[in-house]
Amino acid sequence: MMFEFLQRTLEGLLEAGPYALIGLGLTIGFGVLRRVNLAFGAAALLATYLGSWLHFRWGLPAFAVWLAVIGSTVLVGFYAEWVCYNSFDKSTMGVRRLISVFGILDAKEASVIAASFALWMQLEQIAVNFQPSHLHPFPDLSSNSYFFWGSFSLRPDRLSAFIFSLGLISAVALWLHKSRAGLGLRAFSDSHAAAQMCGMNTSHLRYIGTTLSYTICGIASCVVLSMDGQVTPMFGMWVLLKGMTCALLGGLGSLRGVLGGAMLLGITESHAQSLWGPIGRDAATWALLLLALVNQARQNSYPINSAGVQYE
Amino acid sequence: MNDALCITDPGIGLYTQWIILSLMGLSTWIVLQTGRISLGQQAYFGIGAYSAAIVTVMFNGSLQQALMLAGGCGALFAFLISRILRCFNGLQYALATLAVAELVRLALSAWKWRIPHPKGHEVGPDGLFGFREIRWLFENQIRPEIYLTLSAGLLIICLGVIFFINNTKLGLSIQSAGFDAELASFQGEPVDALQTLTQTVAGGIGSVAGALYAHQATYVEPAVFDVMLGIHAVGYAMLGGVATPLGPLLGAAFDLGLLEAARIFDGWRMVIFGGVVAILLRWRPGGLLNPAVLYHIHQFIQRRKIHEHSKFT
Repeated sequence: MMFEFLQRTLEGLLEAGPYALIGLGLTIGFGVLRRVNLAFGAAALLATYLGSWLHFRWGLPAFAVWLAVIGSTVLVGFYAEWVCYNSFDKSTMGVRRLISVFGILDAKEASVIAASFALWMQLEQIAVNFQPSHLHPFPDLSSNSYFFWGSFSLRPDRLSAFIFSLGLISAVALWLHKSRAGLGLRAFSDSHAAAQMCGMNTSHLRYIGTTLSYTICGIASCVVLSMDGQVTPMFGMWVLLKGMTCALLGGLGSLRGVLGGAMLLGITESHAQSLWGPIGRDAATWALLLLALVNQARQNSYPINSAGVQYE
Repeated sequence: MNDALCITDPGIGLYTQWIILSLMGLSTWIVLQTGRISLGQQAYFGIGAYSAAIVTVMFNGSLQQALMLAGGCGALFAFLISRILRCFNGLQYALATLAVAELVRLALSAWKWRIPHPKGHEVGPDGLFGFREIRWLFENQIRPEIYLTLSAGLLIICLGVIFFINNTKLGLSIQSAGFDAELASFQGEPVDALQTLTQTVAGGIGSVAGALYAHQATYVEPAVFDVMLGIHAVGYAMLGGVATPLGPLLGAAFDLGLLEAARIFDGWRMVIFGGVVAILLRWRPGGLLNPAVLYHIHQFIQRRKIHEHSKFT
């Protein structure tokens, strides 16, 4: 009984790597835009559908498919950013109009949430129209053999994905903390207004942040789908849900927090799957997201803005 | 996932669908009035559909009883959820409602309660297969025209009540809570209670929409009230306009009437609708019927009245 519990925990822990990558992409995007992009998962879905098509129709190898998926995730991400966010930040007229509709606090946020929600539907439907069937092959890099560590069995592909994800997160963290561009991005995330007053090229930083966010999302999608060998229309929702849960559990904006949130999510899901099956697993994820939101709301002792971010 | 309700029935059925979707849009619109955006009104749709189907299929109740129970169940659940989520704001609230809606969908996906029907087969919620054999309209020989009239009557009652409340002190209080909750609180408005009230009513309306849908389609499955229905409901409210309760009706009419009736866009309808909503929020954030348009309409009517009056004097 105890052994089974530990085995499940270990399996859940290995799932945490890709989850943390997705959460990292979302949290960087949040830092740059100051809002959560609900079309984040849909961008990944559309890009992976394109990757699947290139693989199945044109026989592209895994490496080329990965590049195509990452590139197209970034492109679709920029489209979402342009439609939902860019215009709102530039158009004060729109904001002024909205104030009369939604009130001062939620004016911009409500429109942005609704716009990214609508864009989610648009991108998902484009993907479904592009490839109508339910299952689509993706370059399969999974392994059926098991690696034994004492009495515990581990799948080498999961272990590799975990190590790769940890390596990538460490590299991004190092870049953010040691490089000048990383410092600029952190300063920009802390306060857009202050960064602008200091003479930083905020548009440039915004492009860097968006590119980084969607590149990580594209890589995470490839890592996950290479272990599954297929992609379904549910993948967009999956990406958003996992990313959001990890990011909120760890506190939006914290790299270590995202990793901790991903571990908690992976372990919870693993146990929920063994106890209640796939529906129980999904329910556990949503419940964890709800719990993270409740926890965030209770912890906010400072005034919060409508995006749920603490003022510093 | 081809459209909001996974059915596209031409003719009278299309009008009934428009009413059902309008009710869903109206349900989201009511929550928007208190400055909150709910991405999870589909949960009440599902609860309403299942509870109404249980009444007519498993307990041989009438449609009126089913609609009343559905509205009551949805309102009660919405009340409980609004109390739990009362400390949330903005995005937190939106995400929490989405999470609740998905939990409800998953719970109904796992729910099995099958009992034997007098005709020999089993009826009741059947997990992922949903709830089938909801044949009350056929068994009672209710014609589609009658059902359309009934649905339209419910929509008109809802609109009438909302218009009436909008012109009372309560309506003003709700609007003030939507403009600025803190200021309204300072002025002595019970913001928490107002938000709970609007969300409870919105839940009831969403549930009635679900009950109407289940009886029109004769079945309901958890996939029907997934996140896409929530997106449509938000889209209708925002596209039509948040300044008047007629906005969601216009939004639903735009989606169903213009695009579906034309049938030239086929599978691209949701692509166009999603794009239109996103871009419209940039170009016209208050929707088609925004406060400026309403003001111009009001002015136009006033001018006409003065003109008519001047002819007789």
